[in-house]
Amino acid sequence: MAERTLYEEYGGFSKVSKIVLSFYDSLLDNDEVGPFFDDVEMSRIVDHQTKFIASILGGPASYTDNQLRQLHSHLTITDGHFDELETVLRGTLLQHGMASEDVDLVVAEFEKRRPLIVR
Amino acid sequence: MTIEAINEQLLRAIGVGVALLDRQTLQFGFRNDTFEEWFSAETQPAQLQQLFPDLDVSAMQENLTGSGRYASEIRFKKKRRTLVIALDFTAADEDVLVLVCQNITRIKELESMIDSYSMMVERNTREIKREKEQVEKLLLNIMPRSVYEEFKTFGVVTPQMYDPVSVLMLDFVGFTDMVASQDPSVTVTELNDIYSAFDRIGEQFGCERIKTIGDAYITVAGLPDPTPDHAKAIANTAIRFVRYLTRRNLSHPHQWHCRIGLSTGSVVGSVVGIQKYVYDIFGPAVNLASRLQEFSEPMQITVQDDVATVLKDQFDLENVGARTIRGFSKQDVWRLSDSN
Repeated sequence: MAERTLYEEYGGFSKVSKIVLSFYDSLLDNDEVGPFFDDVEMSRIVDHQTKFIASILGGPASYTDNQLRQLHSHLTITDGHFDELETVLRGTLLQHGMASEDVDLVVAEFEKRRPLIVR
Repeated sequence: MTIEAINEQLLRAIGVGVALLDRQTLQFGFRNDTFEEWFSAETQPAQLQQLFPDLDVSAMQENLTGSGRYASEIRFKKKRRTLVIALDFTAADEDVLVLVCQNITRIKELESMIDSYSMMVERNTREIKREKEQVEKLLLNIMPRSVYEEFKTFGVVTPQMYDPVSVLMLDFVGFTDMVASQDPSVTVTELNDIYSAFDRIGEQFGCERIKTIGDAYITVAGLPDPTPDHAKAIANTAIRFVRYLTRRNLSHPHQWHCRIGLSTGSVVGSVVGIQKYVYDIFGPAVNLASRLQEFSEPMQITVQDDVATVLKDQFDLENVGARTIRGFSKQDVWRLSDSN
């Protein structure tokens, strides 16, 4: 039997959906990274966050490095933005009761993608 | 506090936006706190169209005249968040229009999330289905469908006796030398072509290919579904194998010559192995076909006495006399030729 992903361990989509919504709220309220979503349609932002959270927890979405690079290529994302998003992500996961060692794992995975996103 | 005062307090504090408008002029008369909070603008427009420029007022009036109600939805951005508010107009009397607003932003966000999630899941389901089909295809290559169904349902296959069936055993002459003397990858590619052709021929006559071991090819008629004509089916298949190779040799630099043995009897079919399982058949008929094949000259088909008895009327057979067969009693063997 294959190893359980964090996505499954933390209760699948019913739990993850709550994480997605609160992550979405925090991002939009955040003046550091929020402006990236100023002119983006609501359903697209939600879609983006759903896939983001699902993929970093090992759920039913995955992106190759090339896709990630492509998808962010039109944005001028700095290390500061990336750090801020990391903070928001960490905060959201902890707030939803994820064990801190699991959060560390997720953030470490997230950190690996830094070179693809930041320019 | 009077009842009126309590009512007004309630109306102000409720989480639903409420406003009262003049039916004719569409001027606001009353707006509760929630309404003000959502639609607070510096200019504080006094009229409905000014506040909601996108609202279809003529459609609203028409509906109000008809049913006394009108429902709509507006979207606007507060900071960078899109708010979605459901508007519900009710004509209270000749002069007053009641507007009730509900914040359905979360519902819309959830709808978007469900869309996004179901798309991911549906795509994954399609991928899993494709993978499952590929696994099924692979398994169907190594076992008959009925056996596969049993394997899928119960996880095991009960060995089953098939009686009678006819077995064809084919072996290539000088295959080892061929592999040694020529480019092995070319030889194997050609072998693959030939086996594929054999599979197609066998299929036409209802034969089930059991396995190939290197240059040996085993196919059976009468399994998994019993066929009264199993001997004829196997004879027809054998003749066409030889015919196919003869024709192929005319146009190819590499010459392939086979020996074939045909026998009849009972076999037991089952999946063997747990991790690396394979469907196989066991029984004297399999061994006999293998021995008979050894009696064949290149491109000849050697047939067991019992099979020959059945085939004699319809096929070209010649008795080549009694032979001692390792593991079996001494018996007559026959040569099957292509009458065409």
